[in-house]
Amino acid sequence: MKALSLSLLTIREAILKGTLLFYFIVGNLIILFFAAAVSGSMESGTLTITMFGSQLTPRGLEGFNPVEFLLRQLFQSASSAIMLFGIFATAGLIPSMLEKGTVELYLSKPLSRSSLLLARSFGACGGIGANILYFAVGIWAVFGIKTGIWHGNFLLASVVAIFIFLCYYSVVALTAVITRSTAFSIMIAFVFTLFSSALEVRQTTLYVWWENAFFHRFLDSLYYATPRISRMIDQAANLVGKDITTRVLAEQASAGFDILPFVYSFLSASLLYALAIVYFFRQDY
Amino acid sequence: MPILFGYFAHLQMSTVAISHLSKSFSSGLFRKSNIQALSDVSITVSKGEIFGLLGPNGAGKTTLVKILLSVVHPTSGTATILGQPMGSTGIRERIGYLPENHRYPSFLTAHQTLLHFGRLQGLSKHFLSSKASELLRVVGLEEWSRVKIKKFSKGMLQRLGLAQALLNDPEVLFLDEPTDGVDPVGRKEIRDILKGLRSAGKTVFLNSHLLSEVEEISDRVAILNKGEVLSVGTIRDITSHALEYEIRLGIAPSEPVLQKIGALSRSLETNQLTLTLALHAKEDLNKILQILLQEGMSIESVMPRKSRLEDFFINLIRTRENP
Ligand SMILES: Nc1ncnc2c1ncn2[C@@H]1O[C@H](COP(=O)(O)OP(=O)(O)OP(=O)(O)O)[C@@H](O)[C@H]1O
Ligand SMILES: [Mg+2]
Repeated sequence: MKALSLSLLTIREAILKGTLLFYFIVGNLIILFFAAAVSGSMESGTLTITMFGSQLTPRGLEGFNPVEFLLRQLFQSASSAIMLFGIFATAGLIPSMLEKGTVELYLSKPLSRSSLLLARSFGACGGIGANILYFAVGIWAVFGIKTGIWHGNFLLASVVAIFIFLCYYSVVALTAVITRSTAFSIMIAFVFTLFSSALEVRQTTLYVWWENAFFHRFLDSLYYATPRISRMIDQAANLVGKDITTRVLAEQASAGFDILPFVYSFLSASLLYALAIVYFFRQDY
Repeated sequence: MPILFGYFAHLQMSTVAISHLSKSFSSGLFRKSNIQALSDVSITVSKGEIFGLLGPNGAGKTTLVKILLSVVHPTSGTATILGQPMGSTGIRERIGYLPENHRYPSFLTAHQTLLHFGRLQGLSKHFLSSKASELLRVVGLEEWSRVKIKKFSKGMLQRLGLAQALLNDPEVLFLDEPTDGVDPVGRKEIRDILKGLRSAGKTVFLNSHLLSEVEEISDRVAILNKGEVLSVGTIRDITSHALEYEIRLGIAPSEPVLQKIGALSRSLETNQLTLTLALHAKEDLNKILQILLQEGMSIESVMPRKSRLEDFFINLIRTRENP
């Protein structure tokens, strides 16, 4: 109960600080943009979509679904943006709890340190999650109304995006507990993003830096020990629609949904949260 | 068995029982240096008393309270609060704490702050909204309850902090420099609040370096210096060790008499008919009175001079520093 109220209060703090509110406004503007731009019409059994009057061409692909295509594009770019901007909006929430003079107040309340940290983290993710859901429902409704296609998987993918953010936030939580600095937490989160995409393709990039089996295993372990943000976003995007580019390149590559990145990321994010909690428990303030 | 019972009875009696607490901070990433913030501190505080913890800057007062509130982990030693080991989450529901230099989220109003921290204390929203208004009135912030904290002055923040510490109607209250930055009227108000709490049977653990203030309201005090407890007891106990007396005579003493008395005392001042003397031992008082009577002086009054806590404090710390 106490942890839940801390989470809610954390969301409120994020809103009152202004950044979340700003994203909410931006989200609304994007929804309005699509509401104004998109219109759909049925002609002889096939749906055509126009954006500001110009038609989306099916590029001669069989079974091309313009709504799926648009929503996938939107999902992929929006979710990457939301991850980064979400970190901006929420990276300060743990350091602000750990500030000298404030941390004493929190620690002296009848909550364990683990609930404090997790409630704060989940609160931060909850704030972003609420924004994501609102935005997703808005877009989903606009497309539903305009084209008649109510693409439920888009909503499903958005819920998955919240999970991805929760995994991403574990990096922030650990850095924030150790450094107690918002700037550092943001920086490390971004460096992590770059690094994690490099790890993704380590066989062809990082491996060649040093042809050493030990180094390669080390990179492998780093890869498995950290959440895989971009892999998960790709998978979630597959929920929304097929990857046209892959289909063009290799007709066979039917883009399915792979659960494994989520399992591994869940485990590694749990590990990072656990490390953060252990560190938090050991600290004197 | 009876011994054990006695022990538990003792634990029951003391609201806060600190036993052999030590804390050393290690600092420096490469060249480790240890700061011994507390060494072997044992103190008990009974129910319903105002206990003052005194000491110069860096003595370890804040560290001690932080350990009791499990903000800092002790290096060794234990403590119980209300019979339960410190650090248990349950015990923190029954404690109030005003940290030193506390900072509240500045975008909240006074009223919202109390709601925020009250919720973390596990109190219901319904209860809190009336309790918060009541406490803001008690600490004199009634008119400021809807104002954002960032507009508050230092003394106002301090008052708010006190209100926050009182939200859960705590059985034990830990206050770290509660009157820091508060104006004289406010200080008096805070003292009155604390006295009120004492009459309601609450226990107050007060950290301060404002001796006169502690002297006025504390039932017992401990003096801490460099992490060591130098002295514990009631103010009267502590200061009576000074063995200072004021003797009023009927006629002015002669020089030889003064010399005889001076030989028996640590210090001697004369002001016409009044002798102010500090002794080495209590027995010397009788010897001095005997001398005066033998010399035919008439003694009008003998009074132990209650040295002020401040004198005692400064002397104690000085003698520790250069023995
Ligand atoms: N987190 C910490 N890390 C390292 N050293 C610390 C830490 N906290 C306190 N100390 C050291 O412990 C000693 C006691 O500090 P403490 O704050 O308890 O003193 P205090 O009696 O409250 O002083 P003041 O009257 O100035 O508030 C000091 O030497 C201080 O430098
Ligand atoms: Mg202090």
